[in-house]
Amino acid sequence: MGLLSLLIFLPLLALAGILLIPSRYQQSYKYVALVITLVQLGLSGYLYTQFNPNLAGINQLSGYQFVEVLPWIRLDLGAIGKLEIDYFLGVDGFSLPLLLLSAFVMLMAVGASWNISKSRKGYFALLMLLNTAVMGIFCALDFFLFYVFYEVMLLPLYFLIGIWGGERREYAAIKFFLYTLFGSVFMLLIIVGLYFSVLNPHTGAHTFNMLYMMNPDNYIDGSFFGYINNSFDVFGIPARMIGFIVLFIAFAIKIPIVPLHTWLPDAHVEAPTPVSIILAGILLKIGGYGIIRICIAIFPDAAAEANWWLALIGVISILYGAFNALAQTDLKRLIAYSSVSHMGFVLLGISALTAESLSGAMFQMLSHGFLSAALFFLVGVLYDRVHDRYIYNFRGIAGIMPKYTAYVAIAFFASLGLPGFSAFIGEAFVIIGTFNAESVGTGIPRWMAIFGSLGILLSAAYFLWTLQRMFFGETRLKGGETWAVAMNDLTVREQLILFPALALALLLGIMPSLAFEPMNNAVLGLLKLVENYL
Amino acid sequence: MTAIANISPITAAIWVVLLPLLAFLIQAILGKRAKSGNIALIAIILSTLLSGVFVFAEIWKGIPRSVTYPWFTIGISTFTVGVLLNNLTVLMQLLVCIIALPVHIYSRAYMKGDPGIHRYWMYLSLFCFAMLGLSISKNLFMMYIFWELVGFASYLLIGFWFTKESAVQANKKAFIVNRIGDLGFLIGIAILFSVYGTLDLVELFGKEGRFLQTLVDQPGLITAAGLCFFLGAMAKSAQFPLHVWLPDAMEGPTAVSSLIHAATMVAAGVFLLSAVFPLFNAQVLLVIALIGVITAASAAFFALTQTDIKKILAFSTISQLGFMMVAIGIGAWDAAMFHLVTHAFFKCLLFLGAGAVIHEMAHLKDSHNLQIDPQNIQQMGGLKAYMPKTFILMAIASLSLAGFPLTSGFLSKDAILISTYEWAIHHGGGYLLIPIVMTIVSILTAFYIGRLIFKVFFGKFRTAVPQVSIHEAGNSMLLPMAFLAICSLFFIFSWNPISYHHAGVFQGFHVAYSFHEIHSLHIIIPIGLSLAACIAWFIGWKWYVKQQYPLQADSTLMRFSYNQGYINTFYQLTVVEGSLRLAKAAYWFDKTIIDGLVNGLGRFTRMLSQVSAWIDTYLVDGLINSLAGAAYYLGHLLRWVQNGRLQNYLGFAFTVLLIGIIYLIFT
Repeated sequence: MGLLSLLIFLPLLALAGILLIPSRYQQSYKYVALVITLVQLGLSGYLYTQFNPNLAGINQLSGYQFVEVLPWIRLDLGAIGKLEIDYFLGVDGFSLPLLLLSAFVMLMAVGASWNISKSRKGYFALLMLLNTAVMGIFCALDFFLFYVFYEVMLLPLYFLIGIWGGERREYAAIKFFLYTLFGSVFMLLIIVGLYFSVLNPHTGAHTFNMLYMMNPDNYIDGSFFGYINNSFDVFGIPARMIGFIVLFIAFAIKIPIVPLHTWLPDAHVEAPTPVSIILAGILLKIGGYGIIRICIAIFPDAAAEANWWLALIGVISILYGAFNALAQTDLKRLIAYSSVSHMGFVLLGISALTAESLSGAMFQMLSHGFLSAALFFLVGVLYDRVHDRYIYNFRGIAGIMPKYTAYVAIAFFASLGLPGFSAFIGEAFVIIGTFNAESVGTGIPRWMAIFGSLGILLSAAYFLWTLQRMFFGETRLKGGETWAVAMNDLTVREQLILFPALALALLLGIMPSLAFEPMNNAVLGLLKLVENYL
Repeated sequence: MTAIANISPITAAIWVVLLPLLAFLIQAILGKRAKSGNIALIAIILSTLLSGVFVFAEIWKGIPRSVTYPWFTIGISTFTVGVLLNNLTVLMQLLVCIIALPVHIYSRAYMKGDPGIHRYWMYLSLFCFAMLGLSISKNLFMMYIFWELVGFASYLLIGFWFTKESAVQANKKAFIVNRIGDLGFLIGIAILFSVYGTLDLVELFGKEGRFLQTLVDQPGLITAAGLCFFLGAMAKSAQFPLHVWLPDAMEGPTAVSSLIHAATMVAAGVFLLSAVFPLFNAQVLLVIALIGVITAASAAFFALTQTDIKKILAFSTISQLGFMMVAIGIGAWDAAMFHLVTHAFFKCLLFLGAGAVIHEMAHLKDSHNLQIDPQNIQQMGGLKAYMPKTFILMAIASLSLAGFPLTSGFLSKDAILISTYEWAIHHGGGYLLIPIVMTIVSILTAFYIGRLIFKVFFGKFRTAVPQVSIHEAGNSMLLPMAFLAICSLFFIFSWNPISYHHAGVFQGFHVAYSFHEIHSLHIIIPIGLSLAACIAWFIGWKWYVKQQYPLQADSTLMRFSYNQGYINTFYQLTVVEGSLRLAKAAYWFDKTIIDGLVNGLGRFTRMLSQVSAWIDTYLVDGLINSLAGAAYYLGHLLRWVQNGRLQNYLGFAFTVLLIGIIYLIFT
């Protein structure tokens, strides 16, 4: 069994363990989860140290590392050929950093779940199932396998929000579920279409292998998604463009883009803190990862054609999310909308298709992973104490919770792009790279970079307003003395969770090469793939 | 010893930057245990020594040196960090050290007993680190990082007393306004990177820099880049219309105002423009000069009527920064740097002096439980008798600010003003308006600083207290001030008290002017200005000391000046309210339209399913049920026939027979 399989299936082991341990030992579940996620983090750290940054990945099997291929399903379907589904795993410069991020955020989420008291068995079991699915998504290189993990991810999330969530949890859970399903159902159609269009050059069978899908030579002439002699269209749109658009929408819901974002504020606000952390820290990144790995790599021709619109959506998401954040009065909702804005940078960076912007987008995903996880955790800290998040109900928290305020201030400044922290590098390079796009000739005009940069200004406005309104000034709380007593400063456990996240954001901000180095060749490889069609 | 003596300027310069960072980190870890400020003080002393002995002395008027290290690689471009030591950067670095050191010493007494003092020292060290780093950055990206970090340190220090609502409003405003400039800087960087592929200052502007070599086919882009960098400088150096944050920033401790918001950070804009000066073409330079002159004039006008001692000084700072901008705009960036240096000393001193006065007034307020604003000059008066040393020191600084002979300000102000006249005469026409306005501003400067001195130190004490318990500040406050006062005199910069051409700072830069020297101006302007300043002071003396005040205190013009031209109100009503309204509209749109659509879709689906359920129940199932019902009814009907009575059966048979017969008859 390879390392990646170990990484993916360790949580299943934990799941089995949790289900087997009788409920009277329910205190032990969290320790099982903690140990497993710690091992996962160690394992992914080991992968990071063993990773060879000189290999590009993307469409070359030889460029992937820690590859595992096992034939999984083989069926002779007679006239329509042989069904070929592989258990195919591997990582390159795009997936490795996200794998590491996921392991880290999962650990944070387990730490944040320490005081969960409602049916612990089910909670930790679902959390571990989610863990498996997430790891699988970032490792899978067979589209069918990817889809399986992608769908498996939905189930635990639905229940985690729907059972352990806040007041309107059922509404939020169903909204989240339907939104994602809406995207993935159509994705399945495209997968099938791709399957019938692509042949494995070695066996001649149809295949779900993503790497084969990235090579135009493997497409059957005249097939639905074929490069040559393709006269198919849907509603007058060429088939390959339709494939791109449908896949894009599926992943864009996850990012999320405006206007497909409204599941996010509800899901984040209603979800319990650990699930918010996972949603913001990992789930949104699946959207960005999917667009890079699947939409652009499999449909580079369509991507080169549509990137103007993608970038526009990115800019709109940045500004729209930021303005919405400015209007919020619920702290958690504010951070949820700021996620929309920050993830807009990711889409803008990806669609600008320059080395700087794409690296910036990847970097922004990592940075946002650490920082949004920390931010949601910080909101959870306050909510745990007084069960309130309404910004106007607080003033002068700095007077009674100085440590907490310091952490909030650091997290806010890191998120608004203070140099020295990771978000700055991410956003700055998205802007610089996007600006450069017109010179490189990828078709993204410069004004988009300028409008995007306004998001950096607005993020300062809403974060600083919140700091000023909630944390500074004379202490005045809606709950009066009761709240003041309840609002004790951060505990050691809370600091143990927060400190590493912020320290990592700082480390990445000072030594960006930690992330840029492993991904650089993959970025160049992907750009080379698209270059032919620009 | 030889090892120390052989330390290279590069290593020394790096240590100059790192020492305050170390101090910051140590103090951050120690937290409340680091109250004394010794760590910060030791760091800045060492930095000053290193900077003076090993960096400035080695590089000044010598050969520039630089070092570059790769930082990270994206695609094929490698981004670097590096240190650039040339006349401009070592001067700036030394200046920051020399100003920061007395401010540190002063702060020990000034901030004594403040419950948050450990934070104060931490923030101050952070600021020094960022500012020193900014001064020697070799590339623009690195400079941008320090540029934002100084803004961040300034944010922390303005809001140092975070329970004060006005302070936290002010630091928010300062950071956001500076962010506008930062965006300009960032876009400027993006333009240079996309045109030249490098951000390294030496590669761009050095002897054989790409900027000078490459012929750019997009002059519009370069103009845009120039304007973008200027936008950055406008925010940091508080130029109209982005100056609004600086007066509010006076909410911070006065020692901070002196270091950050008068001497060093706000001058960073001027420094940046000097560093990228070759980038600017004629159009951009004209814009810079115009903005500079508007700033100088408006700020001087606002300074005339302010009653808060720190606000007067803040507007004075803005006005002087406007002077420096004009100097850059006319191409005399050496004059701008000269004025930056001299201004740093005397303005820092003015603030420290004001701090000493405020300190005493605050004590007075506390001990007598008064309801006064310790910064309001209307409450002061006659302090000369109680604080004679402070008065003398502040008077020296004021003379320097007004550009009186024998002071450093005289030299640098002349340098700017005379060059501006020469430049305007060279261009002729409307250009002359700029130096003329600046002359008026110079006279106004003399007037408003005279008003401050007269109101604070002359006349009678205007707060009603039984016993005026105001004392001279302690030595740890006076000595730093005395040092700054000495640096505000001419001999620090030039042995010739009347001609700026001999000033050492000037000789470090070799700037080729586009205009000719006009000798007569070098005599007329200094004499004329000095005379005008004396007249301004005479009027001020009569008005404020002799109480022969002839003006209507409540006239429209006065109120306009006092309210800073209503610019804040205007911004509040348009920009702030506007964006908040836009934000609310966006949220409404999100909730009602987008989410409404989603929920509507959900409702529509539910309705559809209800319709289909209805169809299922009443139509599909209804049809089946009615069929079954019909069969049942029919069966029920026929069952009635099978009732077992013979007479009925016979009757039926007869009826059927009868019907058959009738049928046969009719057919």
